[in-house]
Order: sequence, then structure tokens, then C-alpha cells
Amino acid sequence: MTILPQDFARRSFLYRELESAGATFDEVNGAAIAMACGDDAAAEAAQARSLGLSDLSVLPRTGYKGWNMATWLQGQGAEMAEQNNNVSPQADGTRIARLAPGEALLLGDDQGSAGLIEKMDGAWSMETADGCFQVPRAETNFWLALSGAETPALFAKICAVDLRPAAAPPHTVVQTNVARLNAIIIRRDTAEVPVFDLLSDIASAVYLWRALLDAMDEFGGKPIGLTALRTLK
Amino acid sequence: MKQMNCPLNGVRNIQEFAHGGEVVDQPDPNRCSDAEWAEFVFMEANTAGVVREWWCHVATAYWFIAERDTLKDEIIRTYDAGELFKERVDFTRPEAPKET
Repeated sequence: MTILPQDFARRSFLYRELESAGATFDEVNGAAIAMACGDDAAAEAAQARSLGLSDLSVLPRTGYKGWNMATWLQGQGAEMAEQNNNVSPQADGTRIARLAPGEALLLGDDQGSAGLIEKMDGAWSMETADGCFQVPRAETNFWLALSGAETPALFAKICAVDLRPAAAPPHTVVQTNVARLNAIIIRRDTAEVPVFDLLSDIASAVYLWRALLDAMDEFGGKPIGLTALRTLK
Repeated sequence: MKQMNCPLNGVRNIQEFAHGGEVVDQPDPNRCSDAEWAEFVFMEANTAGVVREWWCHVATAYWFIAERDTLKDEIIRTYDAGELFKERVDFTRPEAPKET
């Protein structure tokens, strides 16, 4: 049976863009995610290594902020860096990005498992988590991944911050302006190629998707599905 | 392009920042006169020289303090507002006027 984004109440804001890019979908986390853009899996895997753009918007994520954020999260079993703008990988594959002394962003893995995120969101309540407040990142931010050897060239066009490995090693968070949108960039290179997560305001998802495709064009960048992203070693 | 050092995020282009006016003590809104409140809200000293101002890194909505020399157009130092404001400032409500 063909799975369509319209089969689910929750969809990525980019589902029409993905459909017009020829995407095929599968169910992850109670919504449809683009697994491939086309029929040639080998070509798409190569695309992920040169310059690929994928939409991870339906994967689990959440956020917390407040003066007591760090204490509450650590009390729930999270490990978190003291340093701002840094990512702490957790045992279950979740990544916790510390955005400020009182703000953190939690990203699930590419398999769509929500482990720690579900546990935190289940445990949190206004009454018990004094000084720590939920930020509904899944409802307010879209989430893209940019992968491949050409990503630094692409970012040099659309972002003023130095993202070279010496200035922004893996697990660095950069909160800045990307193509005139306020965005969070998180570096998570594989051994093979640079990979960046990009999160920004969900209402501007289509704008940024098109702006990125336009900027990627000269480097041969194309949309890819989650399967190709998962092939990166 | 001018650049500014955000105490949270590092050096960024100046277009990522918004100016928030001079750092001045807020009078107690419940007890000051209208003229004092208007002075606080609307008036700027416009000092020619070193000034202390509020700035916001818009991408993160992070407010901090910058010291600038307006004569030389130089940013001298930027720092977290916690350096100046170490304690929470509370204003007590005045008693409600008695009904007659």
C-alpha cells in the first residue's frame, strides 16, 4: 500500500514540496516521512555524499527552557554540556543541544525513536517541574538535514558564520541568520562527509526549502530521502 | 559589514542585532511622577562618548549590554546583563485607594 502524507493528521509543512520532488513516503513517528526522491537508490546515496537536502520535520524533538532547565533535565537522566551552543549525545541516540544557560533542544535519532524525548515530555508537568518550561519544538520548528561534501560551499552562500571544522567542529550549535531566517544549525558530521541539521520557524518552511534548493543548484544539490541519509557512515 | 560580539553566540554581523536603548535605572512605576516615567520611556541622553546600551541578538532573542564609543563608532565591550543586574528587582504595589 502506498503511504501518503495525507493519510496522517500530522504532516510536515513541506509535504507538497516533497511530493512534487517525486518523494515516496513511509510511516515514522505517526506521520509520513520522505524515504526516497526517485527510484535510483544508488544515485540518491551518492547525492547524500555530494549535496543532499532532506526533511526530518516529522521526527521527534522537544525543548525546555527556564532558570531550572538544566537541573530538571539532569534529574530525568539527561547528560548535558556546561558549555552553551554544544550538543551532548545521549546513550539512546537522542542529542541534547544546549542553546543557552536556560534553554535546551532535544533531537531524536534518524530512526524516529522517541525514547528520552517521550520520557521527558511524559514526566514534565507545570506543577512538578518548577522553573523549567516546555518548548513545543515539534510544532514550532521545521527540521532539515543538509549532507555532503559541498555543504560548506552552500553555507558560505547563505550564512555569514564560519562553519569550517576548525571554527565549528561536530556537535557545535550555531544560532544565526540563514537566508534571512533565524535558524539553529547543528553540525553532526559522519566519518565520510559533513552533515548539518537546520531548524527554523515552521511557517517559513516552504520559503527556506525553495531558497536552499535554489542556492544548491549550482553545486548539483537535490532533495533526498531518509534512506539515503541513513547510508552515510 | 560591522560586527558585534554576542556574549552568548560569538561574533555576528550587525544585522543580526537590534538596539534597545540606553541602560538606565527604571523608576518605580507605582510611585514615580508622570514626568519621571515619560523621561524613562521616551528620552535618551544621546551622549557623545562612551555609552552603555541594551542590544538584542535577534536570532536567539538574547538581550545583553554593550559599551560603545559613539565618537569613534567603536564597540568597546559586550557582556551578559547578569554582570549589572545581580538581583531580581521587585516593585511593591501601592495600596488600592480606599472606596468612599
